[in-house]
Amino acid sequence: MIPGHEIKKKHIWHLVIGKYRRHRNQQTLSSVARETAISLPDDSPILAIFKSAAVKLNDRQDRHERLVKLSRDITIESKRIIFLLHSAITKETCEKAVSEAITRLQKLAKGPIKSIGLELENIPSYLHWRAVTPGFQEYVEARTLCSLMQTQNIITFQEMQDELTYKIENEENEKERSVITMLTQNDYMLGIADLTGELMRRAINSIASGDSEECFNCCQNVRDLYTGYLGVTGCSRDLMRKLTTTRRNVEKVEAAVYALRVRGGEAPPALLAAAPPSWDAASAHSDDEGFF
Amino acid sequence: MSGNLVINNIFSDFQKSLDEEQEIREVIRNICKDVDSIYRSVTTILQVIHYNEDGIAPACLQAREMFEKARAGYAKLKDAVPPTDYYKYQDHWRFMTQRFCYLISLTIWLEKGIMASHETVAEILGISATEEKEGFHLDIEDYLVGLLNLCSELSRLAVNSVTRGDYNRPLQISKFVMELNAGFRLLNLKNDHLRKRFDALKYDVKKIEEVVYDLSIRGLLPKTEPEEVVAES
Repeated sequence: MIPGHEIKKKHIWHLVIGKYRRHRNQQTLSSVARETAISLPDDSPILAIFKSAAVKLNDRQDRHERLVKLSRDITIESKRIIFLLHSAITKETCEKAVSEAITRLQKLAKGPIKSIGLELENIPSYLHWRAVTPGFQEYVEARTLCSLMQTQNIITFQEMQDELTYKIENEENEKERSVITMLTQNDYMLGIADLTGELMRRAINSIASGDSEECFNCCQNVRDLYTGYLGVTGCSRDLMRKLTTTRRNVEKVEAAVYALRVRGGEAPPALLAAAPPSWDAASAHSDDEGFF
Repeated sequence: MSGNLVINNIFSDFQKSLDEEQEIREVIRNICKDVDSIYRSVTTILQVIHYNEDGIAPACLQAREMFEKARAGYAKLKDAVPPTDYYKYQDHWRFMTQRFCYLISLTIWLEKGIMASHETVAEILGISATEEKEGFHLDIEDYLVGLLNLCSELSRLAVNSVTRGDYNRPLQISKFVMELNAGFRLLNLKNDHLRKRFDALKYDVKKIEEVVYDLSIRGLLPKTEPEEVVAES
């Protein structure tokens, strides 16, 4: 204890009392506010309105959180599937990887994606679009890459949407109802824009494994997709942002193919893949696959 | 166009859906422009409450007439928006709807001194209050933002009614806004636009309480309901 503390404390106390006495018969700002708040009846109609609003808002928020979680699960698994597809080098391992990827994609469609459909069954679409779009984009990316490796063709929006339609058996009256996890076309196109990045990677990998035909194929696919995007008018802002990355992907893959053509005979394939032409170095960084 | 047929189809489908979307947006934009001008004129009409006590009742009547027009506008909007896509196009009418919620609740408060419920406001606009899988409705968040706007306007009215010599009105406002304030505290707001708007409510409350305080320390409060405000400490 500091000497004199007691006195000091008393002194302050007197001041407080003095202030209190001065205002004894008058109100302070906070006392008015307090009195008004206390005088509210518990069963006032206004509070009842707010209580019901609180329930609605809480429902909405909880649902949003659950969807974000599902969407994250989808993103993580889709990224792993893409990685799996890239890991295949020879034709045999490639087939194996594709078939494994297909089972894992189906598991995704039957698991979290179906849960999203059920969660949103009676909810207006687009209300929670922001929560689910990252997962859907990544899933589209994985699914289209897989279809491209399997059939040489990109699975269309309608086909994907059909894959995400489920029949649910109702236990009580044995009627079937169908639930659709709505995929928006915008999400599909955003996923395809990401696909160009994966194709670029695949083209470069295939140089490393000596499969130049595959490399040219991928390159042409990337070009075709980019051409398609150039022709689209009136697309969303998210998509516009992705297109700069897509353009970089085109440049990278074309540079790689150029190197393959020019120096193909001279260098071992691994070297070609490792050393892209020097002008490519400036745009080498990619912000594709960023933050989800 | 590239040589790959599948890819061509993907993009032509996409372009088609984009074009359809643009057409819908164009229609919605045009309707919203008309309805927009209605809420602006209602706002103008209701400005009279700040300086002319006698003008309040006629202004409310006029506002009611305008709400009828808005109702017709919302009916058109309801037709134009595909029933499943309410939240896709919501941005077009969101702000406008919030203003209407505010104007309707202000009118009802001026007429009867009560708070308009979500259902009442939706009913006046001729739309549903319940959020369903399909259909056009009044979003709960827009309604709540409307109430917050109401509080700001009432804080201004509290000041101006004192200037006019009406010392009763601030008490009525204070009680009402405090009740709303207590109500908003029941909501779990996350960090979104509604939360930001709610955070500004305390300034309205402060302003109103200052008016009541000024009146009370000068003994200007009406004597009819002393137990409510003149609290002995």
